[in-house]
Amino acid sequence: MKEWILISVILPAVMGVCLLLASFAENVKRSETVNRKNRRRDRQTGEQGTQFGLHCFVGIVLALSVAITFFTAYGGEKSLVLFPLVDGIPVAFRTDDLSCFFVTIVGIVWLCAGVYSFRYMSHEGDEKRFYGFYLLLYGVLCGLCFSANLVTMYLFYELMTLTSMPLVLHNGSREAIMASLKYLFYSMCGAYAGLFGIFFLNRYCDTLDFVAGGSLNMTTVSGQEEMLLVAVFVMLLGFGAKAGLFPMHAWLPAAHPVAPSPASAVLSGVIVKFGVFAMIRTVFYVVGPAFLRGTWVQYAWMTLALLTVFMGSMLAFGEPVLKKRLAYSTVSQISYILFGLSLLTPTAFSGALLHTAVHAFVKCGLFLTAGVWIWQSGLTRVEELRGIGRKMPVLLWGYTVLSLALVGIPPTGGFLSKWYLAQGAVQSQTGVFRLMGPAVLLVSALLTAGYLFPITMNGFFPGKTQDGSQPPQRKDPPAGMLVPVLLLALAAVLLGVIPGPVTKYIADIAALVCR
Amino acid sequence: MDLNNLLHNYPAAVAMILFGIGFSNLLLQKNLIKKIIGLNIMDTAVYLFLALKGYIDGRKAPVVVDGVQSAEAYINPIPSGLVLTGIVVSVSVTALMLSLTIRLYHRYHTLDMDEISAQLKKEEK
Amino acid sequence: MDFVQNLPFISILLSLFSGPLSSILNAKWAKRVNATVISVIGIFSATVLFYVLRTGQEFVYLMGHFPAPWGNEIRVGILEAFMATFFCLIMLLCMFGGIAEREREIEESKQNLYYIMVNLLLSSLLALIYTNDLFTAYVFVEINTISACGLIMIRQNGRTIEAATRYMIMSLLGSGLLLLGICFLYDLTGHLLMSNIKEEVAILAATGEYHIPLLVSLGLMSVGLAIKSALYPFHAWLPDAYGYSTVSSAAILSSLVSKGYIFLLVKIFYRVIGFSVVCDSKVVDVLFVFGIIGMIMGSVNAIRESDIRRMIAFSSVAQIGYIYMGFGLGTQEAVVASVYHVLSHAATKSLLFVAASGITDASGGSRNFLDLTGAGYRNKAAGIAFSVGSLSMVGIPMFSGFISKLLFAQAAMGHTHKMLPTLIALAISTVLNAVYFMKTVIRLYTPVSKEMPIHEHRVIPLTEQPVKAGALLCFIVLNFLLGLNSEPVIRLITAGLAMFD
Repeated sequence: MKEWILISVILPAVMGVCLLLASFAENVKRSETVNRKNRRRDRQTGEQGTQFGLHCFVGIVLALSVAITFFTAYGGEKSLVLFPLVDGIPVAFRTDDLSCFFVTIVGIVWLCAGVYSFRYMSHEGDEKRFYGFYLLLYGVLCGLCFSANLVTMYLFYELMTLTSMPLVLHNGSREAIMASLKYLFYSMCGAYAGLFGIFFLNRYCDTLDFVAGGSLNMTTVSGQEEMLLVAVFVMLLGFGAKAGLFPMHAWLPAAHPVAPSPASAVLSGVIVKFGVFAMIRTVFYVVGPAFLRGTWVQYAWMTLALLTVFMGSMLAFGEPVLKKRLAYSTVSQISYILFGLSLLTPTAFSGALLHTAVHAFVKCGLFLTAGVWIWQSGLTRVEELRGIGRKMPVLLWGYTVLSLALVGIPPTGGFLSKWYLAQGAVQSQTGVFRLMGPAVLLVSALLTAGYLFPITMNGFFPGKTQDGSQPPQRKDPPAGMLVPVLLLALAAVLLGVIPGPVTKYIADIAALVCR
Repeated sequence: MDLNNLLHNYPAAVAMILFGIGFSNLLLQKNLIKKIIGLNIMDTAVYLFLALKGYIDGRKAPVVVDGVQSAEAYINPIPSGLVLTGIVVSVSVTALMLSLTIRLYHRYHTLDMDEISAQLKKEEK
Repeated sequence: MDFVQNLPFISILLSLFSGPLSSILNAKWAKRVNATVISVIGIFSATVLFYVLRTGQEFVYLMGHFPAPWGNEIRVGILEAFMATFFCLIMLLCMFGGIAEREREIEESKQNLYYIMVNLLLSSLLALIYTNDLFTAYVFVEINTISACGLIMIRQNGRTIEAATRYMIMSLLGSGLLLLGICFLYDLTGHLLMSNIKEEVAILAATGEYHIPLLVSLGLMSVGLAIKSALYPFHAWLPDAYGYSTVSSAAILSSLVSKGYIFLLVKIFYRVIGFSVVCDSKVVDVLFVFGIIGMIMGSVNAIRESDIRRMIAFSSVAQIGYIYMGFGLGTQEAVVASVYHVLSHAATKSLLFVAASGITDASGGSRNFLDLTGAGYRNKAAGIAFSVGSLSMVGIPMFSGFISKLLFAQAAMGHTHKMLPTLIALAISTVLNAVYFMKTVIRLYTPVSKEMPIHEHRVIPLTEQPVKAGALLCFIVLNFLLGLNSEPVIRLITAGLAMFD
């Protein structure tokens, strides 16, 4: 039974590698023909057929792997030890509640963005390479979710950086390369800060395996608390680089605009969440929240998170390019989650996890929407979107619902998660942050409304066009692109309308880890 | 430091000073031939040091003459042997360095290392 | 005495005498003799390794049957036999990986001379590994230097001759210091055999007599060997020597020659001076500081370099820094990490050099960074191998580089003063590594745009250079083996070091 974990990691990875090899062979052939200077155009004719086949293949593999992953995740607790990396530190997998939660988000987002990209990627070229890395990345993320100790997690964390980077530099332009190098640089710095902490924890913990509530060995720690706190803080900063925590957030606005939209959707929706995931694993499953409660690390973490929330919103508010605006919005929204985690109380923890899910769906949906506008009319800036509601009303409605969820208007999921966050802050014993936290969250929510709603308003009510030309014809995007957006919007709303099962699931995790 | 100690060991001190002279010549001279001379001074200084340490006052070289068999009469032959081996090594190294120098001179018509580097840089452009 | 105990000595003699044999052969046969000799010696060393592992103790081979204080000795333990085997393997792969370049870049009449040098180099490396006599070690250090110099200058152009001259000058400075250190030690103890010296040094250390001369001697030997293995401020010769010589030379120089000196240093630490004495001295602190500076500066220089071969050469400087930093930590685990890094770096760096030559071949011989665009598609084997090597250098888990970094960090943990500098330097240097290696890999897989001049690009199919592709494959496998199956290797190293005491 436990081999299912391995299958859910390996199946998409192997299929991804196969696609990569195929793309590689294609590129080799192309460079040969470029070389002989007699490029023939006969490649065009077979293109349609192979493209359809490719989509079928990717779709089936994706559906199958997601199904297997869910089956693995919800089919009872499993654990699997592969082989020892060095003495006493094996590469090991285990399924627990947290990994199930994250793997579910990944699965849903991956399916939606995958279906969407069938249409979108047809104009970007080199699809095989894109899907190759897309599937490979899915496998890596499964491994990351299911990893059972810090070192395995670190392994997959690095692999995640490496396999997601090609998605950013897909079009190979100079900006894309610079952006992906920036992404790589920040992630590597972050990952090594994390590794730095892992070395410390290896010394002070009974085991590097994830144990709910932490496994700190207090007898070794005594007398060296300050050192360990520094190490934990460095880890938080390091994993924060992936999650866009100030001061390591600068890669997000650089990487998102150059990446193809499905790539930025998964990057923003899912990849950054794994910075959060790594923090949860570190703080709640290895160090233990009890150790951090009331220390300067908690306050520093909280301050940074709140700062990022506010700063991200402000930057998004002043940003004219839509994808960059959404990237800054991600910076701000992820720090909502981090703020929730930093409070170290069960309620806030629940809020953070819930917001993780909500934000994953919403931000993925928003980026896909932005992608449609780029794909269909090449519109990248906010002011160009005036009157877009006449052209694509259904899509704009989807966008509006997603925005509502992100701002946190009932009955969407965003309201619920922010409610929990605020409640957790008020209940916590954190002095001035009890009130300041909710205040900042509220201001930021207003700013969020300020930078998202103008698009809806100007889209539906463009006012008088100066040149008096006819309003544009209605031209809905193809269903393959519309449906994923609407599904994601639906998911975001459903989280708020019938929250029962999810909140109960999350509350169980929270009660377990926040001892 | 005890000055007496230094005076007592003045041959060793001379060897060290020679080593320093040779070493700095090999390191700092620009001219290749001077570098090689430095190399030889440095090596010779080490051999001087070795021979010095192998010599015991009042004893003879370990060659049996006049039928004296007692080991007490002779010095230990190993340091001398080491010096001989060392000389062989330094001769071969010097030969190699000289041959390299000749090649460089043929190519660049100078013995100055810095100038050779400058010419190389120019060549590349 | 078992027959196996003769094998180390036979190996040294075999490679020493295959040199003169090659001089009367033509290039083709010299090549075959060379490959045969290396593989035979590899098999011998492996046999010795199994023998030592089975008996569980080291053995001593008396040269000419003269007993301890007078005669010359060969002493073989687990680590020596393992190193010999590993070096033979790497050398064989390097030779196979560079066949095509050698035949193109070296004049036909001089090719057999090249094999003489390689054979000499191998014999001197083996002697450095096996010998139990300090002065013998010195003599073979010089032979090693001379043959390495021959490897650099066999490809005749201004750059290589200049590089060889610089290399000789630095090496001679180093060996002068080494010789002086040995003489001091001989003066203090009256012995040349390592085990005898160690007994005397233990007495000296216990009584506290001659403390300063002992320290000076240790310092001279360490600095001498550090100069010879291109520790940071003494690295000026390295980029040219590695960058412009023929590829198998560069690979052998970076992965074996400098590592031979490092291994000698390990032997001096453990078998001559005694590790506890070394750790009490300040010498390790000096090595530590220079190691850390080297780690950072090597990478910084590599980032600024636009020539791929010189970039890899500068990365060697950084990696040598890692190894000396390990010595500088002065604990048993740190030395294990250093020795492991010697292995991992040897496997990775030779891989990178061989792969880089394949890449430049596919780009019209240009080594400039921009001309390499898309080369990964033109030469598949080299592109993949280069990526694997880069990932290993960056320290991605599953590759050998990660394990050595992990070992370094674990060794640094709990060290009172050196823990933070080590960890920070590891982190910075890793990030810098990532910057320049990933930059190159991305460049290799960026498709060529139409504006670029492409007339010089050439596609190299796998079938054109099957030997090189095979060598690259072996290197990749070796890298994965070291990365995924590190535990037996670490156990071997630990057992070998324990045998040194």
